[in-house]
Order: sequence, then structure tokens, then C-alpha cells
Amino acid sequence: MSNHVTLIPAAPADENSGPPDTEGMNLIGKAAPAFTLTDLSGKKVSLSDFKGHPVMVNFWATWCGPCKLEMPWIQEFSAKYQAQGFQVLGLSQDDGASAQKIATAAKHIGVSYPILMPDEKVAKEYGGVDYLPETFYVDRAGKVVQVTAGAPSKEQMEALIQKTIAAGGA
Amino acid sequence: MKSSKREAGSRKQGLWRCAAIVVCGLAAVASAQIQLGGLGRAAEAKRQHVELLTDAIEVDAGKRQDVELRFRVEPGFHINSHTPKDELLIPTVLKIDAGAVREIHEIYPKGSAFRLPVGAGEMLDVYQNEFRIGLEVVAPRGASTMEGVLRFQACDNAACYPARELPVKIAIRGR
Repeated sequence: MSNHVTLIPAAPADENSGPPDTEGMNLIGKAAPAFTLTDLSGKKVSLSDFKGHPVMVNFWATWCGPCKLEMPWIQEFSAKYQAQGFQVLGLSQDDGASAQKIATAAKHIGVSYPILMPDEKVAKEYGGVDYLPETFYVDRAGKVVQVTAGAPSKEQMEALIQKTIAAGGA
Repeated sequence: MKSSKREAGSRKQGLWRCAAIVVCGLAAVASAQIQLGGLGRAAEAKRQHVELLTDAIEVDAGKRQDVELRFRVEPGFHINSHTPKDELLIPTVLKIDAGAVREIHEIYPKGSAFRLPVGAGEMLDVYQNEFRIGLEVVAPRGASTMEGVLRFQACDNAACYPARELPVKIAIRGR
């Protein structure tokens, strides 16, 4: 289990950028913190609804440029790996923003996977998530197998999705 | 000073890369994760990304005066300009509190073009390195203080931090 861990630091082109926030990496190998949030239509969505599925929990915000650049890849992989049960949940970190504003941004970015409204408590349970995008790859057993802080390359993201799909039993 | 910061940045980045390699190869990953978590916290504690360089200004008392406040963005980071291209992005805004020094208006510098190096990239309008915000003020005779906050939102090349507020406090001497 632990030999599957891959740390993907944000890949800043400038070597002077410091290390990313790694608080969330402490969750690797542990059960993904449970949550129930509302989606943009007001419907309750729980992580436990997707038990038995590999799930990507992607924290993002409308003001985060790198988030918006990686989200179309997530949309593409969501469709590509749908047959293997792969699910994506996009957790907005736009505190104070209306569902309409977040929905408009999501539509503009071109994503159709569930976008969930912000909840500071959930972000805290995932290590603070003070560095966006931050993505948690949760296996079929509900365990966090990978964490990335910052946008990885598209190839890295797909490799992590494949590992997550392959990891963990139902 | 600048070069020593650069070296420190390189060392930090080098350490991070080493840590990632070591962790991938270790069976006892859990304990290594805790150490990396500690490194992240320590780095996070000092992450403001923007500093105020101006601390004191001398002006002619009772007259409208143009002054400049100098700020510096941490190397490797950028913040949105006052007029970012995308309305969803958070602009840099200086807010000066009402006080003995009366502020008439601010004059923001133009941003510079910056392509975000993620995927196909996105052109942004940002402040990097040093930038100056102009202010027209009227100050009383003698010593007074001008206070406020600079609200900004910083990113590096791969990720972003939530908007933050940098306290601004300038000693003003009206002659």
C-alpha cells in the first residue's frame, strides 16, 4: 500500500518557489474524511455515496488560474474512465460566493461533474487546503492513495487516476 | 540579499525534490509524510508573498502631494494586477483608513503579461518583483501615520493561495 505513494509537488517552473502545502499529504494511506455537501442545485452529496468507486476529490476555486487549466483534463478523464467506475467531485473553495456564480464559472470552464459548495470544516479535515488546486485520489475502499498540491501535468494526472483505479478492493 | 534569498529558494526546492525521491523509495512512508507535513507547515507560516518596502515618507504639510508606496512580490510568485483580465480573478487593491492623512486617490501601475505555464497556459495581467502604487495625499504638519491594507491574491506557476491582506503602516512627516 505505501509503496504506491507518489508525491507530486506543484511543478513551478521557477526554482525559487517553495514547497507546496503538504498538510493534506498526511492523509495518504488513511480513510478519506467523510463529508456531505450541497451541489450547485442544492442536492446533498456525500463521499460515502461513491463507496466502491475510485474518486477524485478536487479542491478548486474560481479565482485559481491553475485550477481552471486542469479542470478540462479532469472532465476528459471523468468520461474516459467512467466505465471503470471513476468519479469526480469538485469542491469549490469560493467562500461567500453564490451557487450561481460558481455554476457560471464551472460552465465556462466546461465541466459537468458534480461541483460542491464550500465548507471550511471539510477543507480543514483535508489538511487546510490552503494551496489550490489540491487533489485527493481515493480508492474503492475509501482510502486516500495519492495527493497532489498544485496542478500536475496532464500525463501525471492520468497516471494517478490509473493507479487509483487499480488500487484498493471494492 | 536578493541572491541569498535566491540561493535559499534553490536549496528549499532541492530539499523538496530530494524529500520526494526519498519518500517514494522508503517503505516507512508514513513517518516521512509526517516530516514533510512539518516542512509544509513551516513554509506556510511565512507565506505572505508580498512585503511593503516603504516605511516613511516626508511631504509638504497641507498640500496635495503625490507619494509612492513600494511593494515587493516574493520571487517565483505573482499577484493579479489591479485590473486582471478575467473578472473571476481577485484584483490587487490598496485601502487606506481614514485618519490624519487624507488620501485623495490611488494610482495603480499597469500589470505585466504573464503566461501561466500549466497545459496550454493562460495569459494573465500581474505584478511581479517590485511594484509601486501611487497615492495623492494631504498630510498635516508634524508626525502622523497612514494605515491601511493591501489585498492581493498570490500564485506561483502551478497553484494559488487564497486572497490575503498585508497591513500597510507608513510614518508621514509633514514639513
